Amino acid sequence: MNSQFRINVISIVSLAVLWEIAGRTLDSVLIPPLSKIGSAWLRLLISGKLLSNLAMSLGTLAAGFFLAVILGIIIGLLMGRFREIEHFLDLYINAFMSAPMTAFVPVLILWFGLGVESRIAVVFLFAFFVIVINTLTGVKQVDRTFVEMARSFGAKEREIFLKIILPAAMPAIMAGVRLGMGRAVKGMVTAEMLLTLTGIGAMIMQYGSSFATDALFAVILTILIVAMITMRLVQVVDQRLTGWKTEIAIE
Amino acid sequence: MVEIEGISKSFQKTVKDSTTEIRALTEVSLSVRQNEFISIIGPSGCGKTTLLKIIDGLIPHDSGQILINGKRVSGPGPDRAVVFQTFALLPWRTVLANVEFSLELRRVTKEERTAIARDYLKRVGLEEFEHHYPHELSGGMQQRAGLARALAVNPLILLMDEPFGSVDAQTRQLLQEELLQLWQREQKTVIFITHSMDEAVYLSDRVVVMTPRPGRVAEILDVPLRRPRIADDVRRDPKFVDLTNYIWDSLKKAMENGH
Repeated sequence: MNSQFRINVISIVSLAVLWEIAGRTLDSVLIPPLSKIGSAWLRLLISGKLLSNLAMSLGTLAAGFFLAVILGIIIGLLMGRFREIEHFLDLYINAFMSAPMTAFVPVLILWFGLGVESRIAVVFLFAFFVIVINTLTGVKQVDRTFVEMARSFGAKEREIFLKIILPAAMPAIMAGVRLGMGRAVKGMVTAEMLLTLTGIGAMIMQYGSSFATDALFAVILTILIVAMITMRLVQVVDQRLTGWKTEIAIE
Repeated sequence: MVEIEGISKSFQKTVKDSTTEIRALTEVSLSVRQNEFISIIGPSGCGKTTLLKIIDGLIPHDSGQILINGKRVSGPGPDRAVVFQTFALLPWRTVLANVEFSLELRRVTKEERTAIARDYLKRVGLEEFEHHYPHELSGGMQQRAGLARALAVNPLILLMDEPFGSVDAQTRQLLQEELLQLWQREQKTVIFITHSMDEAVYLSDRVVVMTPRPGRVAEILDVPLRRPRIADDVRRDPKFVDLTNYIWDSLKKAMENGH
């Protein structure tokens, strides 16, 4: 863990130095040196523009992702428990899993208009299916002997579900949530760029079209940082819920 | 105490479009006495695990009946507890929480079940490992936890499905000795599935030899060895050697007839 962190730091620092050197020697508007990006970032931060847009984006992200997690896990659990529901839905789930989500954005505009509802719907759609599939897989992979053991000790269906199926499927569910988080961030930016220019996505479009590359890169770096932080948050939750599994993985 | 009367069981097996019926057990009858240690031995696929599950009430049978103290078995009940071959310990629970699991399902209060679970962990020698997770323990220790979980509900009958089948030979011998000591102290009726003749003879009062599929009772043999049995002495006893040889012949005969 420690040596991994050290290598992470070395990696980031050397990339930053290379970037700075490249930016200064090329002296091009296309690759602004990191120091200029840094000062653009500070400028955006102080003006409050970055934070207010970021807040708007994160609001969309949180709403869409929350819905995707709740509904994704519920649908996944239902599909895993009831074979009829699984066969009724798996066709669509699998199709949507591999389909490019961006293609559905125009439909969502027609359905939900150009407001925040549409953006939430995009985030939801990006994250939902991967959570469903992982939850379903998790439920189906529960060791049958655990269920048999519980039944043998007198467990009722409800207890089997709560005390066996759910905890046993939790690592897979959390893997789905983790993947869903990544997709949700993609959905957020996509929605803001394709739908209505708002939030972080609007800033990207605005700075990109006006060749304000230092500010553009500042925003992109912000997105990367946000993506990393949200992933880390999911990992922390995952660790709390399925620490027993991670311990196995480390061994 | 346990009356197994004419139990038959078939499974439907579907391969592609053709469904074939597999007879797992035919007319199995057996009477188990209170506090008896009885082993059921037979070639793999003879339906001994199926029989154990039927006694536990986990799977239905086609004909016949199981009576426990005169009452007909229709599902799992508090008078029986199973020790599983693969231990079936929940990996997300500590050893203590695993033992508490069986008590949780019986609606025992939190304080009470922790006290009971601790007590049984002590009896199987795991008191210092209560906060460990199953994967941190050796196979032998995991099965001790499985045994503690079964004993914790204080069943009349312990159903053991090849419980020492997946631990190494030395651990196996140790566990056998510990099981005998526990059995003598706890006063349980044990129905023990195994495919080891040596294990069956060393542990049991009687050994039931089953035929290959469809499983029937080929022979029921008394074990003429006095208790308490000291493992090293027992295994050198001519009566032990004779009986294991006899069971081996009986199994061979049963397998030849079956084919």
